[in-house]
Formats: sequence, C-alpha cells, structure tokens
Amino acid sequence: MIRCEHLTKVYNGVPAVDDLCLDIPEGEIFGLLGPNGAGKSTTILMVIGLIEPTSGACYIDGTEVATNPIEVKRKIGYMPEDVGFYATLTAEENLEYSAKLYGMDGATRRKRIPDLLSLVGLEGVTKVVGGYSKGMRQRLGIAKALINEPKAVILDEPTANLDPQGVADYRRIIRETAENGTTVLVSSHILSEVSKVCTSAGILSHGKLVASGRWEDLARAGGSGHVIIRVETKAPMPEFSHPSLISAEYADGHRAARLVAETDICDAVAEAAGPAGIRRLERDEPDLEDVFLSYYHEEATS
Amino acid sequence: MRSAGLKVIAGKEFRDHLQSRKFHLIFGVFLVIAVIGLIGGAVEYQKQLDDYNKNLADVSGDEFESHSFFSWKPTILSAFNEMTTLMTTIGVILGIAMGFDLITREKESKSLKILLSHPIYRDEVINGKALGGVAAIALAMGIVLVLSLAVMLLFGIVPNFEETVRMFLFGALSFLLVFSFFAIALFMSTVAKDSGSAIIYTLIIMIVLSSLLPIFTYGSVYTAVFGQPPDPPDTSSMTHYGGYGGMYMTSAVAVDAEGMVSDPEVDEAWQEYEEKSRAYWEQRQAVYDTVSLLSPTNNYQRLAMAVTNPQMAKMMMNSYDPMSADEEIPQDGFSALFALLGDMAKNIAALIITPALFFGLAWVRFMREDVR
Repeated sequence: MIRCEHLTKVYNGVPAVDDLCLDIPEGEIFGLLGPNGAGKSTTILMVIGLIEPTSGACYIDGTEVATNPIEVKRKIGYMPEDVGFYATLTAEENLEYSAKLYGMDGATRRKRIPDLLSLVGLEGVTKVVGGYSKGMRQRLGIAKALINEPKAVILDEPTANLDPQGVADYRRIIRETAENGTTVLVSSHILSEVSKVCTSAGILSHGKLVASGRWEDLARAGGSGHVIIRVETKAPMPEFSHPSLISAEYADGHRAARLVAETDICDAVAEAAGPAGIRRLERDEPDLEDVFLSYYHEEATS
Repeated sequence: MRSAGLKVIAGKEFRDHLQSRKFHLIFGVFLVIAVIGLIGGAVEYQKQLDDYNKNLADVSGDEFESHSFFSWKPTILSAFNEMTTLMTTIGVILGIAMGFDLITREKESKSLKILLSHPIYRDEVINGKALGGVAAIALAMGIVLVLSLAVMLLFGIVPNFEETVRMFLFGALSFLLVFSFFAIALFMSTVAKDSGSAIIYTLIIMIVLSSLLPIFTYGSVYTAVFGQPPDPPDTSSMTHYGGYGGMYMTSAVAVDAEGMVSDPEVDEAWQEYEEKSRAYWEQRQAVYDTVSLLSPTNNYQRLAMAVTNPQMAKMMMNSYDPMSADEEIPQDGFSALFALLGDMAKNIAALIITPALFFGLAWVRFMREDVR
C-alpha cells in the first residue's frame, strides 16, 4: 500500500533522508522509529506529497505521489506532529471544512462528522478549538485524519500530547482502523508506544533505514548475541573488568550492576562479586530499548 | 481538473472576514464617520445650491462670470471629498487589517500543513484567500455606496444618472485602493514569520508609498538632488508668479523714452531663460508624476477628485501647464469625465497594477513556501 523506492531528500547538501526503501502492505500498522532528526517527518512529508523528493519515488496504492499529489491526498489521512486547527471554529466546524475540501456531500458529512467526534471522545464539546488542550487537539487530529475514510493513515508522533486515556483510545482506534483494511504508518521516537500498537517497524537513523520487519525479527537481529547480566551484592562490589564486557552500569553504591557483554561471563562475575556477598545474579534477555539502541549505535559507529 | 478547494477556501475566508471582530470595529468606525461626513456634505450641498441659484441670477449675461470658478454648479458628489480622506486613512487600515495575517495565522496555528494535506492545489489556497478578501472588500464598498445613497435620499437629494455613475466609479476606485493595501498586506503575510512582523512590514511599505516617496518631489529635496531652477538674466524685468506649486512665467522688455521697444539682446537672454526654466519645471513635473504613480493613495486621490469634482481636478492638472492654463473649463457630462480619466490613464493603470503586482508576488512566495 505504501512503497518508497530509493527515496532521498537533501537539504543544503545534507541528506535528511538517504536512499530509503520501504514496502508496507495493506492492513499493516507500521511504526517508523528513530531519534529526533532521524528523518521521520521528512519521510512522511514526501509520502503525503507536501515536499518533493530529491530523488527516488513514493507510491500510495500504486499511485506515484510526486506526479499525482491530488489523487494521492484523496487516498490518505494525515495528522502532523504539531497538529493545528482554526481556533475560532468548533471541532465540528473544523471537520466540516475539512470534509468540504475532500469534496464530501452534505449528507455524508452530517453522518460522518458526529461518528468521528464520538470515536475520539469529543462529542458534545461545543467550545471553539482555541480553548482546547493539546490532547484534545490531538484527538481532533485523529478524527481529521480519518474523515475521508482513507486507504492509508499517516500519523506523526500521534501520542505526544495524549493523556493515558487518550493513548488507550488512540490504540483502540488504530487497531480498529487496521482491522478494516486501512494501512497505518505511525512515526514516533517513543519505542514503547510503537511496540504496543504496531505490527512491524522500521528504524531510521541519520536518514537511513537501518532495519525493518516484524518485532520478533527485529529483536532477534538487533540482539546481536549480546548478554545482559544483572547482579546485586550485600556489600559494594568491585568494578568488573573482562575482555567480553561491553558496558557496566553501577547503582546503589556499587551494590547493584547491569552488565552487557559479548559472551556469557556469569561465572567470572560470580567469582569477582563473591567476596561482596551475592544476593542476586541473573542473565537477562535484552529488552526492546537495548535492541534499538544497538541499531542506532551500529549506524553511528559505521 | 481543479478541485473544489478554491470555492471552499474563498467561502471560508469571506465568512471569516465578516465575522472578524477587527473587521466589525474598523468598518463600523468607517461607516459612522462616513455617514456623519455625508450628512454634513448633504447640508452643505443644499446651501451651495441655494448660493449657486442666487449667483446665477445675479450674473446672468456676464460671459466671464458664467465661466469662472464661482459659476461651477454644485454637485452632491462634493460630499464624497470627506469620504476620499476617510478612504486614504481608515480604508487603508481596513485593507491592511484584512490581509496581514492571512498566511501567518495559518503558520502560527499550525493549520497550514493540515490544509495543504487536503486534495487541493496550493494555488487554490492563496487564490481562495485573495478571493474571499476581495469579496469582503467589495461588500464593504457596496454597503458604503448604498448607505451614501440612503443618506442622500433622506435629505431629498435624488442623484441623476451621471451622478450615479460617478458614485459607482468612486466606489470602484475605493475598492482598488483598499484592495491595493490588502494585497500588500497579503504579500507581507507570505514573507513574514509571524503576524506581528507582517503588520510592521506592511506599515513600513505603506509609509514609504504614501509619505516617503512624495517627499522626494518636494521643493527642497528635489533641488538638493536635481539642482536649483535657472536664475533669470540680470536685466530690467517683470516677473509674474502664478499657478500651484510655484510654476512661473516671465517676460521682459527694454524701455526707452519713446515707449516699449524690443531689445534683441535682452529678448534672447530671456528667451533662453524661459526655455531652460520650462525644461526644468517640466522635468520636475515628470519626476513628480512618476513618483506619484508608485503611491496608490496619491493615484486614488487624483482619480477620486476627477470623479467627484472634475472641474477642480482639471484646474489642478492645468496648474502645472501654463500652455493650457487658458483652456476652457470643462462642462459637466460624461465626455468631460472620460476625457479627464483619459488624461489620468497612467494613474488608473497604476492603481490596477499595484494590487496585481503585490498579489503576484504573494502568489509566487506562497507557492515556494517551505512547509517543513
């Protein structure tokens, strides 16, 4: 449904997006992950046709974006990170305006707008958008992104300003939307959020897609065989030194440590920490954060 | 195929203008002052009409008096003189207030990205905004005209066909003036990062066009740049000063005991002086006319004068031109009006080109706007 072929965008000689290739099938919830400045928003702006790529191409449902931006915009729903509406209009009036721009007739508008307001929890809110909290604007942004019943929904940092209830509602809406066959592309730097709602993800670093696929594949590939060891002692433990040790973080006055090593060094750790009185020693599986940080570090060091 | 964007955006902008508090306030003040001015004008017109009828009876048969300034038949359109001043102040402010934040407001509220994500062409956004503004200005000018007519009828003054046409022309000119400053403000709205900067830039442009440029045509500034007018020859002379703005004509004679006899040497010096003097003043007039064309306010004032008070406008035009000073004062009628407007074709063109130019610049700037 969403396809990018060697997508590149260069600003003043610096590539913001560098040779990005991506293929997101229909009905998928795809998370575009990356730290700030990785090129996520630039990628999205090219996908929705607001900026033209320096080279390469994007396709939505087989239609090339750069050459058919109007046709593509009819097929997509978009919510930017800094979502904004007309402050002097109500949520209903803002959606009404948006629906008219999509060329929807009056009967469809009258049915669709109350449904969407109810879906995002803004039904019955009569005040103008100028008086909305950021979270309420974000909810309205989701409603706007769905107004034209799009084939693909593209959301840039959708949970940035939502409260816990808003986040839960957002996850429910996105899942329901995907169940109806709509493709969802979510851009975020919050890994936990993307991992909870997305079925697959791509990791952007310095404008390059360093990895993409389903979660379990990413975790397996990103783990790279690193071993995490957690150790707690009664007395302060000495600082460890081992050829396989990659990093060591100490806490609680050197009574707790988290070690990352290339191989299993539990025995060596037990031997070194033994005199301090071991309370706990266990080998831990790397969490998602470790996996994705390893992708960023790999890209940075390469 | 175009989308429905233009119509939808223009409709929203039109409604936004009409519901805007700043539009209500500025236009409200404008209407109040306009009505007061028109009522005063109507009362004054009736008084002038009485004086005119009385004067006409007194000078009947006097050829000179019947063609003099005092013989001009008063017209209700002279009440619009007040309105001309009003347009160049509050009308201009209204145009600026309607245009300065049209694009910056979209940027500030972060709604521009969302707006452009709809299936609409980018030019439909700027065209729609301009169209909505034009419609609101046209409506405002229409209300002013209807109100003017209502005030006249209230005082029992029924304008004839020619006066009605002149009124509509006045309305069209006023529309062009307000639209000029609306277009300037719209351009600044596409250039500036925020509304505060946009209004400051617009006011600077307004001051430059309305006040700073005309300074360069004033006597002291002009002479500092282009030099002093030529000095008359050092002979016995008679010099007559006349007209508006210091244009003067000179003549010289050598006198002997038997009467006025022409001295070839003196005549030649004076002839040379007259030619230099004429060239100097003609150049000065050309500079003034050219610089004035850049000011929408100046163009509007000259054209509004031609429409509402053609005799006065003609007299002011001739004040710089001694050769036509003795031309017959034009009579009322469409031919006189259109002849006068023909003489001011450059001003009409400038008043149309100014908003078109600034709208064109706004269009280009907006089409290249980076929406990152």
